[in-house]
Amino acid sequence: MKTGLGRAFGRREFLKASALVGGAALALPGVAARAAGSNINLQTWSAAVDLVKSHVAAFEKATGLTVDYANAPWAQYPDAMVTKFAGGAPLDVLWVSDGWLPQWADANWIAPIDGFDNLMAYNGDAEPFCTDSMTYNGRQYGLTYYTDYMGFLYDADKLSAAGFSAPPTSWDEVVEQSLVMKQKGLSDFPLMLALAKESWLIEFMSAMVFSQGGAFTDDKGNSIMQEAKGGALTTLQWIVDAVNKHKIVSSACLETGELNGLKAFAAGNHAFALLPKYRLAMLNDPAQSKIAGRAKQALMPQGKDGSHATVGWMRFHGMSTQAAADKARAENAAKLIEWFGGKADGEYKFQKLLFLDLGSSFGVKPLFQDADVRAAYNKYGDVELIQKQQALARKKDVITPWFGDWNEVNGSAWQSAVLGNASAADALKKSGKEWDDLKSQS
Amino acid sequence: MSNTAGGIGAKVMRRFTYDDRTALVFIAPVMAVLALVAVFPIGYSFYISLFQIKLTRPNRTPFVWLDNYIQLFGDDLFWTAVLRTVTFTVMSVTAITVLALLAALLLNEKFPGRRLVSTILLVPWAIPYVADALMWKWIYDSGYGALNGLLYQLGFIDKYVVWLGDQQKTLPLIANAFVWKEVPLATILLLVSLKSIPQDLYNAARVDGAPLLQRFLHVTLPSMRTGFMLVILYETMIAIRHFDLFFVLTEGGPGTASHVLSWEIYIETFRNLSFGSGAAMSYVLALVTFALAYFVIKILGRSV
Repeated sequence: MKTGLGRAFGRREFLKASALVGGAALALPGVAARAAGSNINLQTWSAAVDLVKSHVAAFEKATGLTVDYANAPWAQYPDAMVTKFAGGAPLDVLWVSDGWLPQWADANWIAPIDGFDNLMAYNGDAEPFCTDSMTYNGRQYGLTYYTDYMGFLYDADKLSAAGFSAPPTSWDEVVEQSLVMKQKGLSDFPLMLALAKESWLIEFMSAMVFSQGGAFTDDKGNSIMQEAKGGALTTLQWIVDAVNKHKIVSSACLETGELNGLKAFAAGNHAFALLPKYRLAMLNDPAQSKIAGRAKQALMPQGKDGSHATVGWMRFHGMSTQAAADKARAENAAKLIEWFGGKADGEYKFQKLLFLDLGSSFGVKPLFQDADVRAAYNKYGDVELIQKQQALARKKDVITPWFGDWNEVNGSAWQSAVLGNASAADALKKSGKEWDDLKSQS
Repeated sequence: MSNTAGGIGAKVMRRFTYDDRTALVFIAPVMAVLALVAVFPIGYSFYISLFQIKLTRPNRTPFVWLDNYIQLFGDDLFWTAVLRTVTFTVMSVTAITVLALLAALLLNEKFPGRRLVSTILLVPWAIPYVADALMWKWIYDSGYGALNGLLYQLGFIDKYVVWLGDQQKTLPLIANAFVWKEVPLATILLLVSLKSIPQDLYNAARVDGAPLLQRFLHVTLPSMRTGFMLVILYETMIAIRHFDLFFVLTEGGPGTASHVLSWEIYIETFRNLSFGSGAAMSYVLALVTFALAYFVIKILGRSV
């Protein structure tokens, strides 16, 4: 055999070169681990990247296993993952949002983890809505990455300027206090609701519906959103009145997304806001907010037949079906899931670091007793109240395989009612019919 | 076998000259690439549109014949999207054509600073659509947007106005952002058309005593027919399938005020992951675009 340089390159040389290349490859830890089947493919969206990397490094050091870590932007993550699943790309552990769970589980892309007793043992420490949000058809599909809930926030200065000593405890009081604030010129639109068509919309709706004592669906998953006593109708009518009758919410709420709503609240334009609780830290940061030191949290106002319930959401570490199908791979994947979602070196290290570094909330109750956590929370919030509200959070009751299809129609229906194109009852009838149609088709 | 092959080879040799065969050899790679990246996907997407394909149900993809198309035509939201698309397209293309004509007429004249004006006019064209959309989102924001700030400071409004959240204003405002981006290209196309009009025609009209308006109506406009056809055709095709501004500014809202066909296709295909019905919608959009293009060519191209 002649090479391009014209030198003889016989079978012996070829074998030598192959051995050399092979040896060099095996000498690299990652390649060696892959060869031994001890490599884990971890896929996340692009959040807390440095923290994940350092936690992965600690895992590799502690276990001798190796991790191939990849991430994709949140906005493209579902599409990227579906493509990977469909294409059979190697995946072992991945981040999953509660909204995708039914679809991904039905498609057999992710597998239950409830066969691993060491992972299930953490449920005792988890908030019930967290475990519920990771459960589909009675099977649990992961352990916490982070969680949070929709909070009712207020500007304490505006409240006292209006002559109130305490924040509203009911939706009627929200109207009452808002009208006084409008009258006194403290705010044109005291309540900030972000009802633009975006992924946050269902969280806002659910929080308000739950606090009215209602739900979108019953225990069997049948639609009750259109029913007079379902809670959704009361909520939507309340919003329609707040915008069009009382004018305590701007009609711009329909173009306001969560981020713009946050900015408006941080600029001091409003007295009350529905926002994810983790935003409290930013709102009390003088570098980012004009209402720093004044942004407080109250329990979610309750409806006449309701409670202070709110909605919680969940992002978790799941296991791919391809990993679950191979015993050794599944065990390695479970180790990584535990390292991130459970305890590492005897403590909930990742959830704690995530909270301390980025303010992302944790789903395990013992961390509320951690001195570092309490100190961090108390810098901008009331840890007791935060814990109390978190305990009242509920899983979204619309998370089904047809959630995405229904959500688009439901969002438009609610907006149509606020715009006056349809009555609240008609809008919810449309939403309910869409739910029933999709459910029967599935 | 070899005889047959030889026969075909001989036929090819007889049918095509040496030059033809050489040309075919050079064209073949491009044709192969086009077949791979254009013809095959077009054919395959039609094939997909005959199935009920939902990516999250990979094991259940029944062949449904034309059901995806039939269901589409029975869907109220689809017709809403068609209406919104047509409205947006008519508004946008009309505004683009008129503004581009005015700009082209201006740039066809000699005046100090013409080059600077030409350069400024091209700026929107150089901005990517997503950046354009984000910029307009800031401008239209009802809380801190530049539009409200300007109108308020000039005394035209006494309180901030809701722009994108008002269903009567949404579509015209998105069309405005689209027009802003598209006018430069249309201006260039019309300017080229304007500059190609022979000066003799104007001289002859002047000799006949035609005033400026007559010269514009009877010389300039008819001579620009090709330019108009190009602009209207191109902008119609772009407007009808435009997506970026709807995605960034309103996500189809409020309600269904900006629910256009491209948005409907995106939702169906990439959010609902229903590739079968999404492909059917795409085919309908392609056919509508084709029909409109045919209509425009037929009307404006009669005497070109």
